[in-house]
Amino acid sequence: MTIDGEYTFRAPRETVWELLQDPDVLVKALPGAKKLERIGEDRFDGIMRVGVGPVTAAEWSVNVQLKDLVPPESYAMQMEGKSPLGFTRGTGTVTLVAEDEATTRMHYHGDVQLGGKIAGVGQRLLDQVAKLLARQGLEALNREVEARLAR
Amino acid sequence: MKPAPFEYHRPGTTDEAVTLLAEHGWEAKLLAGGQSLIPAMNFRLAQPGVLIDLNNVEELAYIRDGDVGLHIGAMTRQRSAERSELVAARAPLVHEALPFVAHPQIRSRGTIGGSIAHADPASELPAVTLALEARFRLRSPRGARSVSADEFFTGLFGTALESDELLAEIEIPPPADGAGWGFAEISRRHGDYGLAGLAAAVQLDGDGKCSKARLALLSVGDGPVLATSAAETLLGAEPSEEAIRAAANAAAHRDIDPPSDIHASAAYRRRLVEVLTRRVLPRAFDRARGVDLKPITHEA
Amino acid sequence: MNRSYVGQSVPRNEDRRLLTGQALFVDDVQLEGMLHVAFLRSDHAHALIRGVDVSAALARPGVAAVYTAEDLGDYWRPGPLLVPPPPVEGLTFNEATQVPLAKEKVFHVGEPIALVVAESRYVAEDALADILVDFEPLGAVVDPEAALAPDAPILHTQFGTNLAAHVVQGHGDYEQAKAEADLVISRRFLYDRGAACALENRAVAARWDPKAEELTVWDTTQAPIPIRNGLARMLGLLESQVHVVAPFVGGGFGPKIMMFYPEEVLIPWVAMKLGQPVKWTEDRQENFYATTQERGQVHDAEIAVTQDGRILGVRDFFLHDTGAYDSYGLTVPINSQCTLLGPYSVPSYHSEFKAVFTNKITVTPVRGAGRQHGVFVMERLLDLAARALGMDPAEIRRRNYLGNEAFPYNHQIIFQDFSPLFYDSGDYLPALETALETIGYDSFREEQRRMREAGRHIGVGVVSYIEGTGIGPYEGARVTIDPSGRVRVATGLGTQGQGHYTAFAQVVAEVLDVDVEQVHVTTGDTREFGWGTGTFASRGAVVAGSACHAAAQAVREKILAMAGRVLEAVEEQIELSDGHVRVRGAPERSLSLGELARMANPLRGAVKPGTEPGLEATAYFGPDRGSTASGVHAMIVEVDPETAMVEIKRYVVVHDCGRLINPMIVEGQVQGGVAQGIGNAFYEKLIFDDSGQLLNASFMDYLLPTALDVPRVEMAHRETPAPMNPLGLKGVGEAGCIPTGAAFAQAVEDALPEYGLEILEIPLSPNRLFSLLEDAHDH
Ligand SMILES: Cc1cc2nc3c(=O)[nH]c(=O)nc-3n(C[C@H](O)[C@H](O)[C@H](O)COP(=O)(O)OP(=O)(O)OC[C@H]3O[C@@H](n4cnc5c(N)ncnc54)[C@H](O)[C@@H]3O)c2cc1C
Repeated sequence: MTIDGEYTFRAPRETVWELLQDPDVLVKALPGAKKLERIGEDRFDGIMRVGVGPVTAAEWSVNVQLKDLVPPESYAMQMEGKSPLGFTRGTGTVTLVAEDEATTRMHYHGDVQLGGKIAGVGQRLLDQVAKLLARQGLEALNREVEARLAR
Repeated sequence: MKPAPFEYHRPGTTDEAVTLLAEHGWEAKLLAGGQSLIPAMNFRLAQPGVLIDLNNVEELAYIRDGDVGLHIGAMTRQRSAERSELVAARAPLVHEALPFVAHPQIRSRGTIGGSIAHADPASELPAVTLALEARFRLRSPRGARSVSADEFFTGLFGTALESDELLAEIEIPPPADGAGWGFAEISRRHGDYGLAGLAAAVQLDGDGKCSKARLALLSVGDGPVLATSAAETLLGAEPSEEAIRAAANAAAHRDIDPPSDIHASAAYRRRLVEVLTRRVLPRAFDRARGVDLKPITHEA
Repeated sequence: MNRSYVGQSVPRNEDRRLLTGQALFVDDVQLEGMLHVAFLRSDHAHALIRGVDVSAALARPGVAAVYTAEDLGDYWRPGPLLVPPPPVEGLTFNEATQVPLAKEKVFHVGEPIALVVAESRYVAEDALADILVDFEPLGAVVDPEAALAPDAPILHTQFGTNLAAHVVQGHGDYEQAKAEADLVISRRFLYDRGAACALENRAVAARWDPKAEELTVWDTTQAPIPIRNGLARMLGLLESQVHVVAPFVGGGFGPKIMMFYPEEVLIPWVAMKLGQPVKWTEDRQENFYATTQERGQVHDAEIAVTQDGRILGVRDFFLHDTGAYDSYGLTVPINSQCTLLGPYSVPSYHSEFKAVFTNKITVTPVRGAGRQHGVFVMERLLDLAARALGMDPAEIRRRNYLGNEAFPYNHQIIFQDFSPLFYDSGDYLPALETALETIGYDSFREEQRRMREAGRHIGVGVVSYIEGTGIGPYEGARVTIDPSGRVRVATGLGTQGQGHYTAFAQVVAEVLDVDVEQVHVTTGDTREFGWGTGTFASRGAVVAGSACHAAAQAVREKILAMAGRVLEAVEEQIELSDGHVRVRGAPERSLSLGELARMANPLRGAVKPGTEPGLEATAYFGPDRGSTASGVHAMIVEVDPETAMVEIKRYVVVHDCGRLINPMIVEGQVQGGVAQGIGNAFYEKLIFDDSGQLLNASFMDYLLPTALDVPRVEMAHRETPAPMNPLGLKGVGEAGCIPTGAAFAQAVEDALPEYGLEILEIPLSPNRLFSLLEDAHDH
């Protein structure tokens, strides 16, 4: 499954970049994230409990590795998640473009693979769920950005 | 396919139910007909810690006529509503759409409230209630509030319900003079969720011009989708064949961003929406003119 | 013989028990202290297992044991090869059979890795979430063509290739035929995977009785005797120490004869190991991952015909997706190869296939067992040829049928039973004419035109097929006159809803002249009858039915001989009717069969040398080769080209399965088969993604047609008796689903002539039909 999109933050590119690297911020922004810690320079481990409608159960242990960091412009990442319902693996790229001093446009692209039971029962809604989670995550991130700027 | 352990409550009244709900918050799930929740639990997609069974709450199962329209208690079985003469007379679009919800066996258990609260984007009742501008009465220990269908559906399985709230009643305004309606969907098998579907509520003014059009589509977005630009093409115009064609085009190409899945590509869904709009609207406008026809059957 | 039962639609003996919930199914087996099993299955299609940590699961309250491959010790062994490759010259076969629990590598999603034994299935499933498996994912092979690409990941590395088999068969000189042909049509045809979806999933329960030193296993198998024999061998027990019961089983359709499933190997072992009864019942989700499937093939086929539509030759090259293992040998692709020839005279045939391993669930026969692929390819080729020649599709078939003088007909290739593909008998043309008449073929064009004017699109499809049935090696039966006067029949088959309790009773009742209800049939209990192979390949009625007939004949002879002695008359004077023996002309000299049976088992006196006690006989039947059933299917569809939805308006089957034992049961088989065929044609498809994940592993997304989606089949029977068995029987088990896809494709094309559609794939979903229509529109 491919996820593609854009999102505009009303904040300088450096601010957005910083927040994107901060596990304490991400834990609040990522949908269902319960724990996220840096375990290496660009590696994070975490626990997420994703809830979309009836799907509230699965706790996923996730591992994210950031790569090819070009601050404050772009990075790639590799993600793995596991739960009793199955696994997910994916790669993604995030690019930040400074529209002006106070506006940053984010382009994101991800290729996500789902495996196990969840792949066998979730197809009708997968597309929609991915879109929803991306939107929820970005909106939450935007709130963090705005809170940060308001301080 | 056995559910994970859960705590089970079987309250007898709405008050008891919302008290329990407030106590357990998001950990709890209300159990209505169980036709969506139980499969999700058996797949372990849902693992609620607490189950609050509403099947003993008799006060939530009723169909009553009132000044502002029809009142349907949330625990009314879909099958009872389908067979109710009151519903057929006062909410004919609901009557027309209900046979498309699953199979008789499932409708005998499944509830009107459960279907709406569940807010599956492919469900018929959310689209129908959206087209009809229904209102939903929500109850919590904090009191009651009424929410319009436009505000209630907030996206994929998303509703305005708070963690301590229960959907108590659905209120459907009575058909106005010059009102017409129509429902159709295309599904793989009889009783399946539609690949696409349309619930239409329209109105003609004294000059035979379209004064209102609410076209709610199902299975083409993250919830029921109002085809607003299609409606705009109709408003103020006589619903001629060309007008309907234009509306169908707008619905298929402007109003939706349909998903592709293993059953239907986005392009196929757009086609179905176009065809459904072309087929449903003439019937809805005929009804608005007082020419009633048989409902569109599965062969749509 | 006064009364005739064979050929009558007598009500089924088993239905009272089935309909009142009194029939025992494996999941009904509840024993004191019984434990329940759940399996941890692979989430990955292809991966190395770097480690399995079961400690948390073991610590969970209520868990009795957790086992991985390591814990099985010597018991861990790859399963047997069920069917060795047939004796075809130059054949290649790479054998890779399934293992009880994956050890180092998993080859498909759902392959079992560990099992939990707990006080309830609930706790066992809770504990699955406690097990941690460390996988190293490998690239997956999904598409059969990609499987043979030079850079494809290799499943079974010992072979250095994903090729499972390579087989070439044929007769005549196709190249010559092609050179002489007026028209050559070649196309690529696809037939995709489906699931059998028996109403009852698989289940195994086992109990070890240490005092009796006896293992009892209840199993939903189609082949209880081979299961007993295999378990005895694996567990080091005598066959007499293992008692296998296949009680009522809710549908088999082929996958329940895959021997041995990991669960069948493991549950008895666990019961012996723990000394407690154990049960596992497959749930519907598991069924999609753990029960074998069928149907993925890609054919590149070519037909050479003359100007007047006569077939000169056919050439076919196909890939057969065998999934992760090839434990069932080559039955499915061999069936495809043989059945393609259909009821036609095909002077030259070149057929070559490669079976390939893929990271998908193992393929074994599912009702039809490869036959539908062959039929689809041949019937489509004929349709395309007819279209190119401007000929009616029915006419091109008429011109190519084998005539009645041709039988027995030898196709000079080897069939799934390892003997040459012989057609024993057939009478094809009248079946076609009956089908055309029944569906109103002649007036249909007029009707089609009228509907067209009303903006509606209807089309007709008519196709033929043959079905090789009733193959050996053998089955047996024992018939006993019970002292109560009732008749007991035991055979070794398993029964999954085919009506064996009635059909066999009819055969025996006719020979012994007793009421059908007085005949009590037992199947699937190795203690009752210990010799036999199983229920598969539409052979139950033919092979076991013939054995029942032979055993009943032998008992009849014993009855007459004994009655002659007891009633002091010559045998020829004894009359057997209505459950009694009488001396002709002296009705007062009469005995009931029960009385005679009691006399045959005396407590004093002597049983004469050269005679046996009791009125009982056992007989076996082993045909040299099978019998060839055949038929014609015709259907009318209505297509909505705007929505790509298809409705089947009428469905006609003219079927010839030789002599009918019970027409009602035959009709039920055909109706059910057609339902599966319709599912296969339009609704059902297992969808795998590029990484080998199954995307529709539930009835929410895997669409079985329901009663509302299947028309009532209009049926006509023809009876061309089989020369190979005394009753003239041919099998009918798979007939209904074999040609459905081909008929469907022809009918849909016929409904939309202006699109010039060519439907070359099955299943055809509306989504796919929509894109075909779009493509046609664009051109
Ligand atoms: C085979 C099959 C086919 C189906 N096909 C269709 C179809 O074509 N169209 C369709 O619309 N549906 C279909 N359904 C779903 C069915 O209609 C369900 O009945 C419906 O979606 C949910 O209603 P329920 O009463 O069973 O609710 P439940 O399953 O009991 O509950 C569903 C959700 O709603 C919540 N809930 C229930 N009642 C309330 C309430 N009063 N207040 C707040 N929250 C509540 C529950 O907590 C749960 O999260 C199908 C189901 C099956 C099994």
